[in-house]
Formats: sequence, C-alpha cells, structure tokens
Amino acid sequence: MINPLVYFLLFFKASLFSSGGFSNLPSLHQDLIANGWATEADFGQSIAIGQISPGPNGLWVISMGYLTYGVLGASLALIAITLPALLVLAISAGYKRIERHAWVQGAMHGVSLAVVGLLLTVVWTILRQPGVDWKGLLIAAGAFGLALSRRVNLLVILALAGVVGYFLYR
Amino acid sequence: MALQEPYPSKWQLFRIWAGIGLQSFGGGASTTFLIQRTFIEKHKWMTMEEFAYLWNLCILTPGINLVALTVLIGRKLGGVWGIVLSLCGMLLPSAAITCLLTAGFLSVEKLPAVQAVLRGVVPATGGIMLLVAFNFVRPLIARSYKVGMLYLLADAVVILACALAVILLKVPVAVVVIGAVVLGALFFSPRQVAPSLGQEGAKGND
Repeated sequence: MINPLVYFLLFFKASLFSSGGFSNLPSLHQDLIANGWATEADFGQSIAIGQISPGPNGLWVISMGYLTYGVLGASLALIAITLPALLVLAISAGYKRIERHAWVQGAMHGVSLAVVGLLLTVVWTILRQPGVDWKGLLIAAGAFGLALSRRVNLLVILALAGVVGYFLYR
Repeated sequence: MALQEPYPSKWQLFRIWAGIGLQSFGGGASTTFLIQRTFIEKHKWMTMEEFAYLWNLCILTPGINLVALTVLIGRKLGGVWGIVLSLCGMLLPSAAITCLLTAGFLSVEKLPAVQAVLRGVVPATGGIMLLVAFNFVRPLIARSYKVGMLYLLADAVVILACALAVILLKVPVAVVVIGAVVLGALFFSPRQVAPSLGQEGAKGND
C-alpha cells in the first residue's frame, strides 16, 4: 500500500535536492524502489513518455506518478515539482546580498558537479533497464551522436529509435 | 528601448504560458527559445539582459529551472495572480497531456509491437540523457580549464565520486548534494571574486 503523504514527501525531497529536470531521478529511484512502489521498467517508460510529451522535461515525474499511483500520483508529483520553484522568490530577494561572496560561487560549482554526477547515474539507470542489450547500447550511442550533432530534432531521434526497436525486437 | 506593450491581462497570461508549454517539444532549449521569443521579441515586456538576470536566479533555485523562470516572469507581469496563472498555464495542460499519453501507453503496453518499440526508445533516451550531462559539464570544464589542470582533475573526481556514491554505495542523493555544496564552498571558491555569478548559464536542458 502506498502512503500518500510519504509518497508526496519522497517526490518533494527529490525535487528539493535537484537542479534541472532529471536530477531528481536518482533520489526517486532509491526511494520508490526501496519501498516497492515502482519497478525498474516504470523509470524507463516514464522517461520515454516524458520525452515525447510537451512541456519542460521535468514533467517526466508526472508520468512516473501516473504509472505508480494513478491521477493522485500525478497530482502529487506536480505539486512536488512546483513548490521548490517558489524558492526563487526568496533567492531573488537575497541575491544581491550573497552574489559577491566567493563561497557562493564555490558552492554553486560543487552543486553543478554533483548534478553532472547524478545525470550519469540517470544514464546508468536507463541503460540497465530490463530489455536493454548490446543492440540497445548501440541505439543509445546512435541517439547520443545524433543529438550531439544538433541537426536532428529529439522527437525524430526517438521516433527513429522506436522504428529500429520495432524491427529488432518484434 | 523599443515600444513596450502594456502588460497582459490575467487570462491572456495563462493563454500565453499554455501555448509555450504545449509547443515545447524535446526539452528545455525549445522552451527557453519560445519564452525569449514571446516575452522579449514579440511583446517586448522584458529585455534580454533582464532575462539573463532572472535565468541566473533560476539556476540557483532547486528543482526545474524553467518552472522557477515561470514564477519570476509571472510575478513581473502580474504579481501573485501572475505567478499562479503562469504556473497553471505552463504546467497543467502539458501535465494533462502527459497523463493522457501515459494512460494510452498503459492500455497498449502488453502488445508485443509496443514492447519492441519501447526497447528502442528507452536506450535512446539514455543516449539523450548523456548529452544532457555533456551539455551541463561543458561550461564547468571551460571554467576550470582556465584556472588550471588541477581543477579540471578535481572536477572529474567530484563528478565520478558523486555518481559512484549513488550507484555503488547507495548514499542518499540529498547527502551527496549537500556534500558537494560544502566541498565546493571550501575548495572551489575563487580567490578573486568574479564580478557576477552565473558563469554556468549555458546549462538549460530542463
């Protein structure tokens, strides 16, 4: 049984200690898997659906909420990603006072490094999804290359990958 | 300065943000582009400099930077109600579509063809995520490169340590982030303070 309050707090915590739309994934992965409230496959699926649907990338958690806890889960996830953003109001009030401190810049550099590390764990989580074999790793490498070239729209890359998957695995 | 249009009505603000949310496909770059085009170029409600300043504040904020940006622009154009309606416009229609897509997926997920397609799409999202990480790290590398090779090495060590702590040691993510903040403040603070924060502004793959 999912406890709605704990469920919300896990999403909220993940969002509060993240920067950018995907860096909340490792925290959610740790907690939801530990509680048995999500499966490995839920993560791959919600990220894929999040990439296809409109809006900021961070909305992948809405799909995660829906997959694991229905409309209530999606609503709780939406609130959990909205609330931390309101902290920007406090930051805009105090920014002028702190911006010139050297330690603020150092701390920001530290956070940015942590976010890169967390994004690598996101890549790790996705590539360890059930059903990803060596052909899947080739697809990942191809997608990375195409995205890096900036010539191909991300939706086109995902559609191509879907077609490749259909012919490889059907 | 070019002629500025009068600020939008509350309903207009909601519609504008809904349009931006629904038209953003494929990540933060397209959303940022739409926001700049709408608020700076089309309606001239803000300048590029102002946008850059607000974006720097959003980078400092936890969570999704684009949602924080929605809050700031909403406040500028409509106060508290501006914040509420901007957030609703940006998030609700897109979130509803995400739910519909997920529900649609659940109704067909058992089909072998869908499973096969998914086995192609999921690793592709992994590749795209690697690019997100790559885009994130580039400005950091550029900055450390100027300071010295030792800093570059330290960056790599911290990044790998954070990733391995989460993957292998199962350290709670919050602990890793707080650790990186303290480490950064202690060891990565510049001796001479740069004129302004926000050197890492190139990030933006929300």
